[in-house]
Amino acid sequence: MEQQAQEILINMGPQHPSTHGVLRLMVKLNGETVTWCQPDIGYLHRCFEKLAESKTYTQVIPYTDRTDYLSAITNETCYVEAVEKLFQGAIEVPERAQYIRVMMNELQRITSHLLALGAWAMDVGAMTPFLYCWRDREKAYSLFEQITGARQLYNYLRIGGVRNDLPEGIIGSPSDGEDKADKTLWGFVNYIESYVIPQWNGLVTNNRIFQYRTQGVGVLSAEDAVAYGASGPVLRGSGVKWDLRKNRPYLIYDRLEFDVPVGTNGDCFDRWVVRIKEMEQSCRIIKQCLEWLAENPGPVMAKVPRVLKPPKGEVYHRIEGSRGEVACYIVSDGGPNPYKVKWRSPCFTHLQLMPLLCPGHKVADVIAILGSIDIVLGEVDR
Amino acid sequence: MDFLKEKFPDAQFGTLVNGDVEVLVPKEQYEEAVRCCYEAGYKYCSVVTAIDWMDRLTLVTSLCRIDPAEVGAVTIHIKVDLPREGATIPSIAKLYPGADWHERETYDMYGIRFEGHPNLRRILLPDHWQGGHPLLKDFVDKRPKRPRIVRKGFRDSE
Repeated sequence: MEQQAQEILINMGPQHPSTHGVLRLMVKLNGETVTWCQPDIGYLHRCFEKLAESKTYTQVIPYTDRTDYLSAITNETCYVEAVEKLFQGAIEVPERAQYIRVMMNELQRITSHLLALGAWAMDVGAMTPFLYCWRDREKAYSLFEQITGARQLYNYLRIGGVRNDLPEGIIGSPSDGEDKADKTLWGFVNYIESYVIPQWNGLVTNNRIFQYRTQGVGVLSAEDAVAYGASGPVLRGSGVKWDLRKNRPYLIYDRLEFDVPVGTNGDCFDRWVVRIKEMEQSCRIIKQCLEWLAENPGPVMAKVPRVLKPPKGEVYHRIEGSRGEVACYIVSDGGPNPYKVKWRSPCFTHLQLMPLLCPGHKVADVIAILGSIDIVLGEVDR
Repeated sequence: MDFLKEKFPDAQFGTLVNGDVEVLVPKEQYEEAVRCCYEAGYKYCSVVTAIDWMDRLTLVTSLCRIDPAEVGAVTIHIKVDLPREGATIPSIAKLYPGADWHERETYDMYGIRFEGHPNLRRILLPDHWQGGHPLLKDFVDKRPKRPRIVRKGFRDSE
């Protein structure tokens, strides 16, 4: 007679270190096999959308930083662009500001992916890459500090441009190498391309233990990915070549050359590879921006009224964030405050994948899957 | 959006300032309109939310098409006007599993009940929350307030 183990319900979190914040996962286990999984969120809810209704359009920008605090520039871009669209052409953002925004976005994507990969590798048992990720992120943050004055929450973008131009000497020259990685943008990009990505590939991507942990785990089919609203690296890992930078170009992305890497199997390993390849593409984009920025000085701020009152209207602006589709729905009633702000965060949508992906896997794989969809709880709960 | 215009000639069509399409349909036709979009290839639900206009609520369901060859993809926003009290609407979570949590959040924040939803509970606020639906414009936080601490010598209010 076959003996059935008793099913037990365990709570992962809210203080579990592998859940990247305060996420509670309720998991039902049969032995070590997961039979059911349900996330419980809301521990970090701080009423961003309600708060935004009582602030002026400019005052909302620092709050958007704090939704996804690991890629703050992306959120600012989404919000600021949406408000600029509400003005229906009355605000023309200078070209240089747009190039700076793109450059900052891609720099942010590299730091965000570095942390995602490092934390994920640590969750599945590789401690060293996490320390390397910190070392490289530190270099990027010192560049951010020189440009914006802050290391993580920048408040750098303004409606109509960016707050200040790039400081002198930050662009550097294309021959800058590793020794200038924390001083010039060229140095950083060259360092990432020639040193960091090969190191990650050698340490983790080609590591047999890591491959055993991630290949065939958490397989997400392309149909499911679309139906569940997945976007960004999760969607592309499943083989859908969809990138809002290409498919609905914003800023000046249509002038730049870059590829959209996709996976084939839709498992955790593919999502890893897509992120590594995206970092390479980000380097390509930054290089093109730096070449343009070095030759074309100009204003970085449009002429905007002191009190911003967009005309009545609604806008839904979607951009490709580091983790997927960041979007915001803004309704203006003609007053100085937004009538309504809805923040569509990719992590909130991605967390719905957990009940789909986890059953059938071992409990240790839950952590690998959670790492692969790369959530930031600040954005899930808003 | 010709396929929608053919099927729903009475619906109000409009465009958002960024070029997206908005369609205002009566409540009875909501499910049919969503299904119609689904069959036309709009299989990706970007967001479900609501707007409180003080005299009515407007439910907004944003659907997109994931077509790798398309450039300048447009989102369709299906809108339904609902009463502010006791609003109900059919759930689309069976068609779009990704809309599940967005519908829960809309229920949580605006109090719109989605009929046929597999698990319509609060999501961001705690399950035992009794204070109402916070994104409604007339929401008042009734929880006891802490007294504000004012240090003497720092402020000259008196």
